[in-house]
Amino acid sequence: MKPSSLIICRCEEVTIEQLEQAYQTGSCTSRQLKMKTRASMGACQGRVCRQLLEAWVHDKKPDSPRDAELLSYRPPIRPVTFGQLAKDES
Amino acid sequence: MERIQDHPILGRKTLREPISFIFNGKPMAGYRGEPIAAALLAAGVRTLRKHEESGNSRGLYCAIGHCMECRLSVKGKGIVRSCLTPLEDGMKVFEGQQLPNEITGRLLP
Amino acid sequence: MKSKRQQSDLIIVGAGPAGLAAAAAAAENGLSVTIIDEFPEPGGRMLGQFHEERGHWWVGKRIADELIEKNRAQGVLIRCGVSVYGMLKVDDMWEVSTSHGTMLAPRVLLATGAAEIPMPANGWTLPGVMSIGAAQVMTNVHYVKPGKRGIIVGVNVLAMAIARELSVSGVSLASIVLPPSGPFAGKAALPKENLQLLMSLSHLAPSPILRFGGKIANALGLAGIVSSLFPRSGIKLWDIPLKLRTKVVSINGTDRVESVTLADVNGQGEIIAGSEREEAVDFVALAGGLYPLAELASIAGCPFIYTPELGGHLPLHSERMKTPVEGLYVAGNITGVESALVAMAQGQLAATSICSDAGIFGHNGESKVAAAIEEVHRVRASALIQFHPGIPEARRKIYRMWQETFGAGV
Repeated sequence: MKPSSLIICRCEEVTIEQLEQAYQTGSCTSRQLKMKTRASMGACQGRVCRQLLEAWVHDKKPDSPRDAELLSYRPPIRPVTFGQLAKDES
Repeated sequence: MERIQDHPILGRKTLREPISFIFNGKPMAGYRGEPIAAALLAAGVRTLRKHEESGNSRGLYCAIGHCMECRLSVKGKGIVRSCLTPLEDGMKVFEGQQLPNEITGRLLP
Repeated sequence: MKSKRQQSDLIIVGAGPAGLAAAAAAAENGLSVTIIDEFPEPGGRMLGQFHEERGHWWVGKRIADELIEKNRAQGVLIRCGVSVYGMLKVDDMWEVSTSHGTMLAPRVLLATGAAEIPMPANGWTLPGVMSIGAAQVMTNVHYVKPGKRGIIVGVNVLAMAIARELSVSGVSLASIVLPPSGPFAGKAALPKENLQLLMSLSHLAPSPILRFGGKIANALGLAGIVSSLFPRSGIKLWDIPLKLRTKVVSINGTDRVESVTLADVNGQGEIIAGSEREEAVDFVALAGGLYPLAELASIAGCPFIYTPELGGHLPLHSERMKTPVEGLYVAGNITGVESALVAMAQGQLAATSICSDAGIFGHNGESKVAAAIEEVHRVRASALIQFHPGIPEARRKIYRMWQETFGAGV
């Protein structure tokens, strides 16, 4: 099996091949690749694959410095229902 | 899958109440309070969800609430992470389902 | 009607070793403490951990039970099955948003631990493929075996520790093999690097590795050793074949794991043509290691630093477990991946630091904090499981950086 069909982001089923295509068309940072391919934008919010995405980008340019922070996190960082939200505000 | 009754290092669990629940319409047995995912694994159920877009089968992956892979739906509770949600007597549990996509126009088979 | 918002002196997120140790210590000094954890029971990953230590079993569950008992006696409120989805500072008060309403406290300690780094392989989304931590939790916490016969992919501290637990618990394991090569595995896919790692773990392993160690001591180079001396059939580690010359090529099955395709590799990790074969398994445990789970620190506005020795990106913090964000503290694996005992000592230190900042110790605060820091050093130096050889030096670097940025004593 070719490594390119390997899924990196389980939630959005993004493959290495898709990352490669996005990279070739100018999406070069973790954030750009996330925006372009939806890798690490799914239900787990990148908890599983952001490390992989970063490792892949780093492998492309091993000499570039690592960002201090690994992509961004935004609340809610855990699933919450509208019911739970409403209860708290009522 | 096999349940461990007497763990060689950790011993036995304090007495648990056997209960029954329904998964995809099929009656199943489990213990009150154990995660739904554990009861389903013990019953040999691997697929907890179909991927919303592709319909591919998915199962338990991290078991501690990080990965969201084990989400399924419970009547009266909506979509939950089955690895963190305690099993209750008579619970009606359904596999997570593939969804239609209005943007791409993909309908369900 | 405004719902009643529950207020405490200190909210701790995470009921693992760091959180529980911190809560007990803070409550002992008079603070009202609430611990929140989304797992159904307190104890964190200690619930499923045990290992053999100088002839007896260290059992995490027992340590957790003792800590929980201590917390109950001190009146600490432990809220399990509650997820924190956000936090915001309003005036001098943290508003912690949870699945069960908002909770308030002037100080918050994040003890959220670590998450697993995946080790992807073709077919890794099939049901029956799980992170190695999931296999541990199912087996040792929920008492359900992850399958009839499985394989572990990835050779690292976490993999070896959990492999041992699984085999003691009666889970059948075909072998431990190398991951596929590529950017995700990096050096973890190379036989030589793995052998080096195993040597550094030899104190954990039984005699085969130690015996093997003797041969390596007068060797020609590790790559040579792997291809010439390391048996292709692997060596038995406890009763599990450890195969440093075999890697996984793919995980196969329709709708569930049915087999894995394995191949032999040379000393450089390249597949030897024609060596591919299938092995029947019904579960696969992927072991890629751990990284600090610091989402809450990020949304609370804490700056981060990248420290590979400690698991990667972590919230900037001082040696006394304070972050640059007023009223925000960290302890345990969120500050870097280490063992449960170090996490407990860090929890104790964070509590001391918090009580000192709250003015509870009067003039004695600094000396109490200094003593708690000493204790962390002592525990770290004597820790049996070292996740990375460079931890003490990496920590010194972080604390130096903190001092240069914020000045001493902060």
